[in-house]
Amino acid sequence: MTLFLRPVRKALGATLAYLWSGWGAVASILLFCALWEFGGRVYGDLVLPGPVATLQQLSSMFESGQALPELIISARRTLYGLGLALGIGTLLGLLAGRSLTAAMMSRPLVTLLLGMPPIAWLVLAMLWFGMGDATPVFTVFIACFPIAFAGAMQGGRTLDNKLKDVALAYRLPWRMVLTDVYLPHITSYLFPAWITALGTSWKVVVMAELLTTVDGVGAALAVSRAQLDTASSLGWIVAVLGLLLALEYLLLEPIKRRVERWRTEPGP
Amino acid sequence: MSELHIRHLYHRYGITEVLADVGLDLYAGETLALVGPSGCGKSTLLHIVAGLLTPSEVVMQSTFRGVACVFQEPRLMPWKNAADNITLGLKALGVPKAARQRQAISLAERMGLSVEDLGKYPHELSGGMQSRVSLARALAINPDLLLLDEPFSALDIGLKGELYRQLEDQVHRHGTAVLMITHDLMEAVRLADRILMMVPAPGRMVYEFTLQQPQAERSSNWVYQTTAELMQVNEVRIGFGLAEGELPVQSSHGHAQHSGCAV
Repeated sequence: MTLFLRPVRKALGATLAYLWSGWGAVASILLFCALWEFGGRVYGDLVLPGPVATLQQLSSMFESGQALPELIISARRTLYGLGLALGIGTLLGLLAGRSLTAAMMSRPLVTLLLGMPPIAWLVLAMLWFGMGDATPVFTVFIACFPIAFAGAMQGGRTLDNKLKDVALAYRLPWRMVLTDVYLPHITSYLFPAWITALGTSWKVVVMAELLTTVDGVGAALAVSRAQLDTASSLGWIVAVLGLLLALEYLLLEPIKRRVERWRTEPGP
Repeated sequence: MSELHIRHLYHRYGITEVLADVGLDLYAGETLALVGPSGCGKSTLLHIVAGLLTPSEVVMQSTFRGVACVFQEPRLMPWKNAADNITLGLKALGVPKAARQRQAISLAERMGLSVEDLGKYPHELSGGMQSRVSLARALAINPDLLLLDEPFSALDIGLKGELYRQLEDQVHRHGTAVLMITHDLMEAVRLADRILMMVPAPGRMVYEFTLQQPQAERSSNWVYQTTAELMQVNEVRIGFGLAEGELPVQSSHGHAQHSGCAV
């Protein structure tokens, strides 16, 4: 019985510990808000509205029904671009990780892609795809693809040959080699890469929208900038950051802890 | 009866010949120890028998069906708990989960692991416990040929003795054949029915020693005495660098290739 209760108890304990560790994060965010408030007091509402004024503006934007549709549009573009990048990047990265030649050939390409500023891609995308949805989606894709690719490739390359020998010696069928040897190892490389890609995708989509589209958070930011409406600008920024934090800490981080509990659990 | 025969085994890494004209026979229920200094190709030979390496040339015939391997380090999957590590081979054979769990519990008991330990991940287990899990993983599939690559070298005397008993028990109860590598002549004398001495450059067999005494009647005194006797053998002394001398490279027959050779 204890054999089956133990994991349950451990999972519960881990969740509680995780939630408790959130207090540190909350405290640090509040400290930042205090600094922000101080800056707001010094420079005045026109230049830097304080956190309270910003949140009020944000909530009024939600109440007027202005914020949600724009956020949904941006989220949709991010999701498409990020989904494509993670899917294709991970798949190709795994394939590249299988062969030394492919890994050696793709390394400089990854560096090149990672080094290329997203704004340069954006200019190209505007020329190729015009001012529609495809431009932000493509820019997100191209910015996140090398991150996912590099993570997957590293994971594939670093699997211990000794464990591969174990799989061979115990005659594991190929499907088990995949699910019991490759994937658990690779996931520990994939998750950090995916989280980085998520952060990048939001930044890039807002930038792309700011310059190219007529809707979405980026476009709304462009409008508020044109109207010198600092409070609305900050409101949009807070909304985007809030979504990002929620996705990372409420969704991805708990999943990561769950799949990597063999790594993070402290010894007895 | 299951048996393994190897003749004229050659293996090269690049231009270095690591094994030259190696041959051996192994029958069910028999324990064969390979001893020799580092670099004499013992591990390579074991990997070839395990199917992890394809030799350059060989005439090999094996009727063993279930082959299990215990490596020098435990080599557990860090993302699997002890129970899932022990039953890895069973899962590969398609044994259902409930049956695997039962097997894990009974094996853990045999190995002196608690049920609590079964839920732990490898990094939560001590080195000795990891070795037990590794041996349990091999015994789980009830192999008819067990390959051991110095699995006991890093363990303390007490734990060694305990795992020796498990091994003897397996051989006695199931007629498992064991091919083991060891540096430790005493270990070989204690466990083996035959000892094969190998020397490097190129890796080859130079001496065979048969132990008549049944396992159960091998007292510590007998083990010390026999080891001392073995240490007096010229090939063993030269092989381990205890005495000056050359061991000639002999060829079992004139022709170089395996034309017409059979087991």
